[in-house]
Amino acid sequence: MTSQPPLDRLQRWMQAAIVHPGDIETALGSPTVRKEIARADVDAVILPSPTLTSAQRVEVYQSMYLLRMEEALATDYPGLQHFLGDEEFFALVRDYVQIHPSKSYSLNRLGDRFPDFVAVAPDVRRRDFCADLARLELALALVFDAPETKALDASVIESIAPEAWETAVLAPVAAFRLVALRYPASAYLDSLNDPEHRHPEARRKDTYVACYRRDYGVYRHDLTRAAHDLLADLVRGTTLGAAVAAALKRGGRHRPKQDDLFKWFRQWIAGGVFASVETA
Amino acid sequence: MSNRWNLPDLGIGIGLRTVHFPHVLSQKPRIDWFEVLSENFMDTGGRPLWVLDQIAERYPVVLHGVSLSIGGSDPLDFEYLKKLSALAARTRAHWVSDHLCWTGIMGRNVHDLLPMPYSEEALRHTTERVRVVSDFLERPLVLENPSSYVEFAASTMPEWEFLARLAADADCGLLLDVNNVYVSAFNHRFDASTYVDAIPADRVVQYHLAGHTHKGTHIIDTHTGEAVPAVWELYARSIARTGSAATLYEWDEDIPEFDVVLAEAQKAAAYRAQLTGDEPLLAAAR
Repeated sequence: MTSQPPLDRLQRWMQAAIVHPGDIETALGSPTVRKEIARADVDAVILPSPTLTSAQRVEVYQSMYLLRMEEALATDYPGLQHFLGDEEFFALVRDYVQIHPSKSYSLNRLGDRFPDFVAVAPDVRRRDFCADLARLELALALVFDAPETKALDASVIESIAPEAWETAVLAPVAAFRLVALRYPASAYLDSLNDPEHRHPEARRKDTYVACYRRDYGVYRHDLTRAAHDLLADLVRGTTLGAAVAAALKRGGRHRPKQDDLFKWFRQWIAGGVFASVETA
Repeated sequence: MSNRWNLPDLGIGIGLRTVHFPHVLSQKPRIDWFEVLSENFMDTGGRPLWVLDQIAERYPVVLHGVSLSIGGSDPLDFEYLKKLSALAARTRAHWVSDHLCWTGIMGRNVHDLLPMPYSEEALRHTTERVRVVSDFLERPLVLENPSSYVEFAASTMPEWEFLARLAADADCGLLLDVNNVYVSAFNHRFDASTYVDAIPADRVVQYHLAGHTHKGTHIIDTHTGEAVPAVWELYARSIARTGSAATLYEWDEDIPEFDVVLAEAQKAAAYRAQLTGDEPLLAAAR
């Protein structure tokens, strides 16, 4: 090598080597890394130490990269890591960050596409269950970080004339997510704290969860199908009257009683799910 | 000696860590100040930000970032800088610091403090960026010396000369991490004393101390455990030149109870007292 590479090429080379999933020699010899600096020139770019070769010195950074990514994703997806086990989870992380590397100054949003990735990842044990578990954990992470919005005060509720409720439109607080799942992911998360390690089976079962934050604590509230459908209508802007009417029309075993609807509504108000109500 | 901006000697602090939130909020410990990791609070509206608000009401706070990528080749991220500036205002941070490093290129963030070659090209490049950032933040940026595990053939000067020249040319402050000096000195076989002796004394605004992990062939800056005696000796050597400056103990891995970290940090008091005979500032009304 006749001259040292410019700063930007040095950085492109080093990054490519660090994020490469293979061992350091595979990384340094890979096309993406070699196109910046040839393997034969590495020793002329990175000085060896008395105890480490040039490649080994770069490997120090490479070995820490995936561990850091795993730590970040394990923070947001502890249930998924628990279900898959450390080895499988690490492999999933390794493959995920190849396709969805961090492009933010924060690791908070590294895992935003993890559920979608899990849903199509080959060789994931009980993949559909894992995807649901990831979706629920992402909802909880988004609720955790959402902006704080004040919940609707009881006095506001009481001030609304009874006849105005028919056309009332409610908006949820920012820290709220509603999730419809095909597996008992919420029950699985509950079971993480079971000292006897009793976990629900990853079998098909429609489940519904409201995730919300109150007083900076994040909560999961398991819902029936009927409660979920009503709440889904309300948070998408359907008037209360229309949402209740639709709920009462829904057939079969999902049809709720009117008393149930108002009981749920009162629970959601008390739980701080709604931020505002607009009346005509 | 005070630093050239008369930024205060805040006394002895520790890094604010999530595991300690309940203790700090409930016990209101006697600690002089906290250093907070900027990026942890820039994109959340949840509990961490609420906790930070409570703490900033009671204690002096300094912001310390890991994603500025001051030495990077990608353009500076002004959205990031806007959020950093807003967080500094929200917390009334006494200063804003980050590291002499780069963290990614081509839009990626590797989330590591990656090493710089100490070349004229890198010096010109980094100096310009520091000036831009300082102008944007409307305060001098404070840069921490990194720990590193590679040396570049492109380097034409030692790290301490690069840092000193950067500080002068860019008019920035320095956060002297004496554990990083020790780690890099072992990894690159230079004399740590030479390093600390070369740092411009009037630009040192803050110190870091920490533990590390010795791998035999190299040392990794893991911020775990107690600082080795040689690190404390470097600290003593440096404050004899710079005078007392805000001193922070970092413990980021296998974090023990708050009081354990605090006890380690408080070891600095003895060195500071030998120097000045003064007691450290206590957390008082702001």
